[in-house]
Amino acid sequence: MIQHVKTTESNQALDAPIAPADHLVGKSCRRIDGKEKVTGTALYGADLFPNSAELFASVVRSEHAHANITAIDAKQALEVAGVLGVYTHADVGGTNIHGLIRRDHPALASKRVRYLGDAIAVVVAKTERAAKLGRDKVKVTYETLPVIATMEQAIAEGATKLYPEGNVMGDKRIRKGDVDRALANSHVVVSDTFFTQTVDHAFLDIEAGTGHWDGQTLTLYVAGQWVHEERRLIALALGLPVEQIRIIQPVTGGAFGGREDISIQIYLGVAALKHQGKTIALRYTRSESMRVRHKRHALKIQSTFGAKADGTLTAAKIVVHSDEGAYASTGIAVMRKAASHATGPYRVPNVEVDVYGVHTNNNPTGAMRGFGACQMAIAYEGMMDRIANALKLGRETVRKKNLITSGDTVTTGQRINPVSVGHCLTKAIQKFNDQPYPGSDSLPAHIKRGWGMSAICFGLGYGDGFPDCSRARVELADNGTATVYTGGVEVGQGLLNAMMQIAGEELGLPFESMRIVAADTELTDESGSSSATRQTYFTGNAVRMAASELREQVLDIAGIKLKVHPHEITLQQGWAFESAKPDNRVRIERICTEGLTRGYSLKASALFKPRTIEEVPGTGQSPRAFITYLFGAHVSQVLVNTETGEVKVERHIAAHDVGKAVNPQSVEGQIVGGVAQGLGMALMEEVTYKNGRIMNPGLTDYIIPTIKDLPPVEAIIVEHDDPGGPFGAHGVGEPPLIGAVPAILSAIYDATGKAPCELPMNPERTWRLINDVRENDTLSKVF
Amino acid sequence: MFHQPTTFEQALELRRALGTDATVINGGTDVVVAMNHGAIHPQCFLDVSRIRSLRKVERQNGHVVMGAGVTFSELGKMHFRALREASLSVGGPAIRNMGTIGGNIATASPAGDGCVALLAMNAEVQLASKARGDRWMPLVDYFIDYRKTALADDELIHAVRVPHNPRSRWYKIGKRGAVNISLVCCAISQNENKKTELAFGCVGPIPKITPKASALLAGEELTPELINDAANLVTHEVSPIDDQRGTATYRRAMCGTLTKRLLTQLMKDDAKGDADA
Repeated sequence: MIQHVKTTESNQALDAPIAPADHLVGKSCRRIDGKEKVTGTALYGADLFPNSAELFASVVRSEHAHANITAIDAKQALEVAGVLGVYTHADVGGTNIHGLIRRDHPALASKRVRYLGDAIAVVVAKTERAAKLGRDKVKVTYETLPVIATMEQAIAEGATKLYPEGNVMGDKRIRKGDVDRALANSHVVVSDTFFTQTVDHAFLDIEAGTGHWDGQTLTLYVAGQWVHEERRLIALALGLPVEQIRIIQPVTGGAFGGREDISIQIYLGVAALKHQGKTIALRYTRSESMRVRHKRHALKIQSTFGAKADGTLTAAKIVVHSDEGAYASTGIAVMRKAASHATGPYRVPNVEVDVYGVHTNNNPTGAMRGFGACQMAIAYEGMMDRIANALKLGRETVRKKNLITSGDTVTTGQRINPVSVGHCLTKAIQKFNDQPYPGSDSLPAHIKRGWGMSAICFGLGYGDGFPDCSRARVELADNGTATVYTGGVEVGQGLLNAMMQIAGEELGLPFESMRIVAADTELTDESGSSSATRQTYFTGNAVRMAASELREQVLDIAGIKLKVHPHEITLQQGWAFESAKPDNRVRIERICTEGLTRGYSLKASALFKPRTIEEVPGTGQSPRAFITYLFGAHVSQVLVNTETGEVKVERHIAAHDVGKAVNPQSVEGQIVGGVAQGLGMALMEEVTYKNGRIMNPGLTDYIIPTIKDLPPVEAIIVEHDDPGGPFGAHGVGEPPLIGAVPAILSAIYDATGKAPCELPMNPERTWRLINDVRENDTLSKVF
Repeated sequence: MFHQPTTFEQALELRRALGTDATVINGGTDVVVAMNHGAIHPQCFLDVSRIRSLRKVERQNGHVVMGAGVTFSELGKMHFRALREASLSVGGPAIRNMGTIGGNIATASPAGDGCVALLAMNAEVQLASKARGDRWMPLVDYFIDYRKTALADDELIHAVRVPHNPRSRWYKIGKRGAVNISLVCCAISQNENKKTELAFGCVGPIPKITPKASALLAGEELTPELINDAANLVTHEVSPIDDQRGTATYRRAMCGTLTKRLLTQLMKDDAKGDADA
């Protein structure tokens, strides 16, 4: 929860000279939430426990990945000392169902469980320990069903169906030109199958929060990514009107898409409604968090690309199977993103894409940084390297020949302007060439050095005709401070600063005069989700529009005070002055006081709701599937130990066009963080399942990178004014991860001469690739 | 109950009285993790972290003797290369500041990096009890089966010792650069009589030595052919399994690869006349 702080009157002397113009947009203003986070006083979800928890909840989970529930017996659980109640589906007042696009996920399962994270009951007790003891005593009887552990099993003839309509959740297609003919006429046709893995968000701040029902309002302190949408979903499931639910976002330590699905909110709601007046607390362990939460989709991507002898792409034929797990989550959107990003930033005249989402009894798969786009970049960039290799052309040459330029269309038929992907690639390679490439000559024979590159695009926002929008409110107080109100959630990415800086820039106020209230459904209006790299563009625009409206009021009032036309006034550093005669000036505090007495509201709100156009079903074509596109390019340099398969990233350069960096340091942070997360995906992170059970539900065996694994990331911020963005900005959140993975794989290919197609490239996979070792090879083959 | 003796004698008395009812704890880097995972639920602790004498490292009769309470950070300063590098590959700085060699030996995990390095260096472990006093035994005899050891219910690990002049090498393959659990690790040592010992981690239920390969190498000058033969023997002597960290195939191959690489390093150093310990 972010509350604005009461401030003292500005102590700036009224006769002091006006400080020079200090543009907040483009300045690395210190993070407003930085000090609390660094000093440990920020209150995350789990920090609310010691202060406010009165009762504790724990959740009973399915013991089977696929089963029918035949009975739930709470008798023994209720006998545990301290246990006050055990609540099941029968205690849920509403639909008892949630889900981001389809409502298909039971909050508390009644008849059927489809994965091991399915919840069956909520136990409430006086202590957390009692709640957990009670949880373990709830007896659920099952009739087990065959477990669909893999996509192959799911689509096999006669497979057990997770849903009456079958195991194929849906499909998405792109149809453009005549692919078969173009492939037949190509000089070279290259095919490969890529397997991307299941990935966990592994955010630091494990799901934790509190719920309280006072008879009127259910108040939830739980971190999500879109508090207003979460409120709707919770309201439906619990059978409460939305206005009786208030969600306040605690300080949040990372999200990466992992907080988009409902987590603990409904359980807390069920418990709170049964214990009026008591604050209920619930927190997961890391293991529970990983066993329960949705994951990044594992994709099988079969790619065939054709090219002319000079490297010009002729056609692409791509079939994707996506492991959707037990419930739909954001799967439909991920499939769409995969289809629309299947050929990335490349000009391909003939394209055929078929994406199939397949249900299994694995964890539901949903949002994670760069969803759909990230997996497809691994495949299309992999194909660029393979084509370059097949044609004996340079990897940069093949890319540059085919990268779209301003005015070209992407695979959905959308014309993009401006396009800066070629520029990003040039910048990244230039930076790489700043240092002489050492090659492998000075290395021991078993160590090989390699370098690789990637070029990527990313459609920002939900797109596809979804009514994506953001609201914002800005208010001036008589002490000259301005407060921004937004429903957007700060999850670590820097939203608060970005919004304050945009409003401050518009109002000519110093950063110190800016306040913000965010992510509280009672105090703020809906600003959409902190996802899809959309907040800077969407909420940033709404904030700028509201601030702009306020600016008009300020100028009008200043005009009265200064006795000049408002167009002749400059707003700078908390002053309004006559542009031609700066001595004719007045402080913002005076303007506000004057305005209030004259009946000006000094408040403004705005709605930013640009139109995207739904893709044509069957062909996936749309003149504006996404509101704008982002571009980036990476270069990575690796060392590969060919004997053991160990890979070390030595250098990594990431160039991203962000339109305009509102806060360059935050942008750099996003780039470095994205590269780190991408490095993890490329080399080590992997959720492994055995019959629907996660075998590594903890950070002991779910391996994420440490500082020792990360080279100093060389971030290049490219700025091409986005005509639709606030001050030309568009965003940065997801592209750095998307670019990082294929660049590292490209470098491994260069070092080893073998093209990776399976993730992550951990030591064993890299060793198998280099030595061509298959699953059942004998000892004499492997050593 | 939380017992916190300040002398080893008090600790032995408590161990005699409490036996396995008390969980022995020092840095807690294994015990606390096991508690958090719900694998153990100790009601009573015997904390040996306040016993100063357990933190000593001293030279005695051609050996270096390390108290059971010596931390990995301390071991990371030692001149035995394999032990030093193995210790510095354990966890991160925080874990190395708390984790002890005695704890590593007590836990007896097949992935215990410290145990693997010590095994290759012909270490002996000193077990002590109130009733029967101290006994030294070769570390290789101490490991019996998966997490099963020769430590009796009334005994505590007192110290571990290694001959002070072996040359040694270490390599660990893991999935990342720090806080890194071994996929497979290998330590080798060679004394002045060219007696060569090899030890491996994560290739069986206990930290593993390869006697056949050692016998082949005993007293011999290292040559590429001999190294190849030893590496081949090693791949047959180890017994890794498939688990979710890696496959038996990979681990078996890596045992051969690391044998070759580390012995080749020793051979090259011989050629250079480099007598690095």
